[in-house]
Amino acid sequence: MSAVLSPGQIEVGEPAGVTGLRLAVRRFRRNRLAVVGLGVVVLFVLFCFVGPVLYPTDQTHTALHAVNLPPSAAHLLGTDAVGHDELGRLMYGGKVSLLVGLAAGALATVIGMAWGAVAGYAGGWTDSVMMRVVDAGIAIPALFVLLVVSAILSPGIWGMIAILGCVSWLVPSRLIRAETLTLKNRDYVLTLRAIGGTHARAITRHVLPNSVSTIVVATTFQIADAIMLVAYVSYLGLGIRPPATDWGGMLSAGLTAAYSGRWWLIVPPGVAVILVVCAFNAIGDGLRDAFDVRGRA
Amino acid sequence: MSTLMYLARRVLQAVLVILIVTVVVFCLLHALPGGPARGILGAQATAQQIAQFNHEQGLDKPLPAQYLYYLRTLASGDLGTSYTLNEPVSTLIVQRLPKTLVLTVLSAIVGLLLAIPLGMWQAVRRNKPFDYAITTLSFVAYATPVYFLGLLLVLLFSQVLPWFPAQAPQGDTLGQVLSDPAGLVLPVIAGAASMVAVFSRYMRAATLENLSEDYVRTARAGGTRRRAILWRHVFRNSLTPVTAMLGYYVPVLFGGALVVEQLFNYPGMGLLFWSAAQSSDYPVLLGCVLVISVATVVGTLLADILQRVIDPRVAGGRS
Amino acid sequence: MSAKGGPEVGAPILDVTDLGVTFGTDTGDVAAVRGVSLAVRPGETLALVGESGSGKSTVALAAMGLLPGNARASGSATIAGTEVVGASDGTLAGLRGRTVSMVFQEPATALDPLTRIGSQVAEVIRNHRRVSAADARREAVELLRRVGIPDPERRASAYPFQLSGGQRQRVVIAMAIANEPALLIADEPTTALDVTVQAEILDLLRRLAAESGTGVLLVTHNMGVVADFADRVAVMLRGEIVETGDVEKVLLRPGHEYTRRLLGAVPRLVVDEPDPAHPNGSAAVGTEPVVDLRGVSVVFGRGRRAVRALDDVSIAVHPGETVGLVGESGSGKSTAARVALGLVAPSAGTVSLFGTDLRRARSRARRALRAGIGVVLQDPVASLDARMSVAQCVAEPLLIHRRGLSARERRDRVADALERVRLPRALADRAPRELSGGQRQRVSLARALVLEPRLLVADEPTSALDVSVQKTVLDVITDLQGELGFACLFVSHDLAVVQQFAQRVVVLRNGRIEEQGSTGSTLRRPETDYTRRLLAAVPVPDPVLQRQRRADRLAASAGPSA
Repeated sequence: MSAVLSPGQIEVGEPAGVTGLRLAVRRFRRNRLAVVGLGVVVLFVLFCFVGPVLYPTDQTHTALHAVNLPPSAAHLLGTDAVGHDELGRLMYGGKVSLLVGLAAGALATVIGMAWGAVAGYAGGWTDSVMMRVVDAGIAIPALFVLLVVSAILSPGIWGMIAILGCVSWLVPSRLIRAETLTLKNRDYVLTLRAIGGTHARAITRHVLPNSVSTIVVATTFQIADAIMLVAYVSYLGLGIRPPATDWGGMLSAGLTAAYSGRWWLIVPPGVAVILVVCAFNAIGDGLRDAFDVRGRA
Repeated sequence: MSTLMYLARRVLQAVLVILIVTVVVFCLLHALPGGPARGILGAQATAQQIAQFNHEQGLDKPLPAQYLYYLRTLASGDLGTSYTLNEPVSTLIVQRLPKTLVLTVLSAIVGLLLAIPLGMWQAVRRNKPFDYAITTLSFVAYATPVYFLGLLLVLLFSQVLPWFPAQAPQGDTLGQVLSDPAGLVLPVIAGAASMVAVFSRYMRAATLENLSEDYVRTARAGGTRRRAILWRHVFRNSLTPVTAMLGYYVPVLFGGALVVEQLFNYPGMGLLFWSAAQSSDYPVLLGCVLVISVATVVGTLLADILQRVIDPRVAGGRS
Repeated sequence: MSAKGGPEVGAPILDVTDLGVTFGTDTGDVAAVRGVSLAVRPGETLALVGESGSGKSTVALAAMGLLPGNARASGSATIAGTEVVGASDGTLAGLRGRTVSMVFQEPATALDPLTRIGSQVAEVIRNHRRVSAADARREAVELLRRVGIPDPERRASAYPFQLSGGQRQRVVIAMAIANEPALLIADEPTTALDVTVQAEILDLLRRLAAESGTGVLLVTHNMGVVADFADRVAVMLRGEIVETGDVEKVLLRPGHEYTRRLLGAVPRLVVDEPDPAHPNGSAAVGTEPVVDLRGVSVVFGRGRRAVRALDDVSIAVHPGETVGLVGESGSGKSTAARVALGLVAPSAGTVSLFGTDLRRARSRARRALRAGIGVVLQDPVASLDARMSVAQCVAEPLLIHRRGLSARERRDRVADALERVRLPRALADRAPRELSGGQRQRVSLARALVLEPRLLVADEPTSALDVSVQKTVLDVITDLQGELGFACLFVSHDLAVVQQFAQRVVVLRNGRIEEQGSTGSTLRRPETDYTRRLLAAVPVPDPVLQRQRRADRLAASAGPSA
C-alpha cells in the first residue's frame, strides 16, 4: 500500500535554467553515433531532393545506346539496363524511399498513438479487446499482408504509404499504451481526477504531452522500419511500380546484373538503404537515451 | 494461479487472436478484385460459373452468415484450390510448412547462440572498442535488407570462394532437404543475421540493467567474484526479458524466411507464397497468411510458456 | 556488546581516515564526502546519522569498496588492517563476506529473484570456505534458522518473491553473518520495513552482534533507531562529520547546533502520561461530516485472487478536525483515502461528500462537489507534472472550477497560494524539477488550497522528506488549518507524526478498523493489543527511555511469539 520512500531520494532540485528539452539536447549531442546519424539523414535528404537540381538526369526515357555502362566521367555511377544514369536514379529512387518512409512512419505512429492511448486510458474490457486486435495484427507477419494487399490493390506511392501505415501501427500502439498506463496512475493525474478534473483534461493536458518523447522515439524507429519494408516489397516485385522506383526496386532490378559483375547497379542502392536505416535507428537510440524513455533495445 | 489455469487462459487468448486473424483474412477475401468468386475461380471464370459459385458458397447470404460458413470450411481443413498449381492449398502447405519451420528454427537457434554471448560480452565491456564495434556491426546488420546480405553471401562464399552452393537443397520431403546440409548454410546465415543484431542489443540492454541491480551489489558484498556473479545470477535474470522478446520476434522471423526462400530458391512456404503473389493465386496467398499467422500465435505461446519455465515469479502467479 | 558495557579496548576493526569521495556527474564533479574519519572497534556499534545527501551511505559503500563507477575515493579506509581504498578486486572479494559484510536498505531487490534463498546463503559460505555443496546447504539452513526464518529446511528452497519484506531482510542478514565477519555494515537496514518488523530486525541484529562480538557500522536517518541500537554516534552534514560521541551525550546533550536542530525536528511519540489537552470526543460531533465513509468494503481482483483491501470500514471527518489514518503496509489506509477521494469505487457501503451521497449525484454535480477537496500525495516527484511550471500546477484547480477568472486574477490567486505555503513568488515560473522535495510538497499544498477547500486529504505527505523538511511542511499545514479551517484526513505510517498532528485517529489493520478514538487516549492508552504492540515498536530518540521501552516490549512478548 504505502511503501515508504527512503528519505533522501530527493533533496535539492537541479540548477535553475536547465529545461528538460535543453538537457535532452545536451545528452543527445553527446551520443556521437546519433549525431552522425542525423548528419547522414540530412545529407541524404539534400542529395535526393536538391541533388537532381545540381545533377539533372533523364529518368523517364530509356537510352538504349547507353545501357549497362560502367562508372565514367559522364555517368559517375554508370548506367542501368535501360540506360538511366545510376547516380540520378539513386536520387530519384531515394526521394520515393525517404518520402514513403517518413510519411508511413508518421502515419503508423499516429494510428498507434490514438489506439494505444485510448486502450491504455480506458482500461478494463475495452483495453483487453483492443489489445487482442493488436495481438492478431502482430500475428500476421507484416510482409505477408503487404504482399497480399499490394497484389490486390497495385497501389501507387500514396497508396503504399497508406498500406504501410495501416500495417505497422501495432508496435507503437503497444508502446503508447504502456506509457499511458503509467501516466494515468501518476499522482498528478490522480490528484486532477480527485478534485474533479475531466478525463479529457487528463488526456490532453497530462497524458499526451508527457508521452511526446515516447512518440518521437517510436516515430524514428518506425521510419527506419518503413524504409526497410518498402524495400522488401519492391524487391519482391510488388512495391513501387515502374517507371517510378525506390531503392528496393533498384536492388531488385540490379540483382541479376550483380552476378555478371555490374556491381554499380547494386552496391549504391544497397549502401544507401543501409546508411539511411542505420541513421534513423541511431537517431532513435540517441533520442531514447536523451529523453530517458523505454523503447526497443 | 496454477500452471494449468495459466495454460488454459493463455490458449483461450490464442484462440481468440486466431479468430480475429480469420476475420482479417475474410475481409481480405472480400477485398479481392471482382470479389471472392473471381478471386478464387480465377480470371477466366465465366459469369455463370461465378453465379453458381456464389450460390454454392453462400455468397449471396448476409456477411455474418458467410463468415460462419467460411469458418466451417476452414475447420474442415479446406483452404481452397490453387488455380495455378491445381492442387488443394492445404496439400501444398502441408508439403512446405515443415521445411519453412526447419529453416526458421535453425536460423533462430544459430542467431540466439551468437547473440546471447555477444550481448553479454558487450555489456561487460561497455563503452570499450569491442562494444562499439559490435554495436556498429549490429546496426549495419539490422539495416541490411536480407536479400542484399544474401546476395553478398552468395557472391563471397559461393562464387569467389566456392565453399557452399548458392541454391538451397531441393526436394519434396523434409528428408531430401536435410540430406544436403551444406546447401542450408547460406540461407540459415542470411536468416540469422538480423536476429543476431536485434537480440544482441536486447541481451546487452538486459545484462546492463541487471548488472546495476541491487542483488549484484549484495552478491559482491558477500565476496562473490565478478565472473561468478555474471554467470550465476546476471545471465539467468537477463534471459527472462530476452525470452519475452522472442515471442514478439516470431512474425519477423517468418517475414525473413519469405525473402530468404525466394532468394535461395528454398522450397518452403515463403517461396510458395512469393510465386503465388506473382501470379495472383489468391487461395494460396490467403491460405499461407492464415497458416503463417497460426504458426506465429503458436510460436508466441511457446515463448510465453518458456518464459514461465525460466522465471519462477511468473509461475508463482506474479507478473 | 551492550550500551552499558562501555567502549572496549583494542585496535579498531574499521578505521577510516580523511576519507573523501567525489562523483563525476553531468554537471561536473560533486564532492559527496570530505575528510571523514571514524573508527569502529570490535563489539561496538557506531551509528552514522544524517539527512539525505549528507554522504552517510557513501561512506558505508566506500568502506566496502562498493562505490559506483563514477566515484573516486581518496584518503584511507582499513578493515582489520587491510586498505580498502584503491584495493584490487581480488583483495576486496577476499574481505567481503568474510571479514566485513553488509546489509542493505531495500530487501525487495537485494536478493537474486531467480535463485533459491538457500543457494544464495550457501554461495557466500563457499566463497570463503572449502566446504562441499551439501555441507554448505546444511549450514545455510542453520543460518536461516538462526536469523529466525520459520521452517528453514523447507524455506531454503523458496524464491525471494515468496517471502515477506522482513523475511527477505533476515535472509540478507543470514548471508552477512555466514562467515562470522568482524564488521557488519548496515545501511538503513529497517527503513523499508514496518515498525513492528523494524523492531524485530533490530533485535536480531543486536543479538547476533552480541553473540559474536561483531563491530557494527549502522547508517540511518532515524534517531529512534540510533537510540535503540548504537553505542556511539557520528553526525554527518553535507559530506562532513560535525559531531561524534557517545549515544547518550549526542542524543541528550548535543554539542553541535545542527544536531540540536535535527533532534528538535524529530517528532516524538509521547508515551508516559495521558494528555489532558486533547480530551475525548471532538467538538465537531453533531455537525455534519465533510466526508463520511459508511460500511465501506473494497475488493480488488476477482475470484480466488481477489484481495479484500477494505472490510466494512466507517470513517467520518467533521469540519475543522484532523483525522489520522494509521496502519502498517497493507492495512488499507491509502485505499481508504482513495475511496474518500473517489478514485477507488467501494464494492460495498456508501461515501458521502459534504452531505451528498456520491453514488446518487450526477457526474457534473459530483465534479462540482470535488472543488471542496484538496489533495497532497506522498511522492514529491510524481505529484507535479514535470512539463508544467509551478504556476501552471497551482493554477490547474482554478482552470477546472473557476473558469470565469481572468488570467490576471488567476495569477494573483496563484501568488497568494504560494505565499500561504511560504514559497517565494519568484518560484512561480520555475519547473518542478528545479525544486527540492520539501518545496515540491509545498507546491502540492498550494495547489490543494488554492480553491480554499473544506477538506484536505493528505496521503503520507511527508514520508519522503527529511525530518527537518517534514517539520516545515507540517507546520505550514497546521498554520493554514487554523487560518482557513479546513478538515483534514491525514494518512501516515508514523505514529509520532499523527499523535502531534491529529485530534482523532483511526488504526487500520488488514483492511479493518482495529480501533479509533481521540489521539490523546487511543495513542496513549490503546485498547487493543495490536495498537499497543504498534506503539511499543516505535523507537524513541532517547537512549535511556528507549532501553526501558525495549525491555518492556521484550518482556511483554517473551514466550511464544518472536
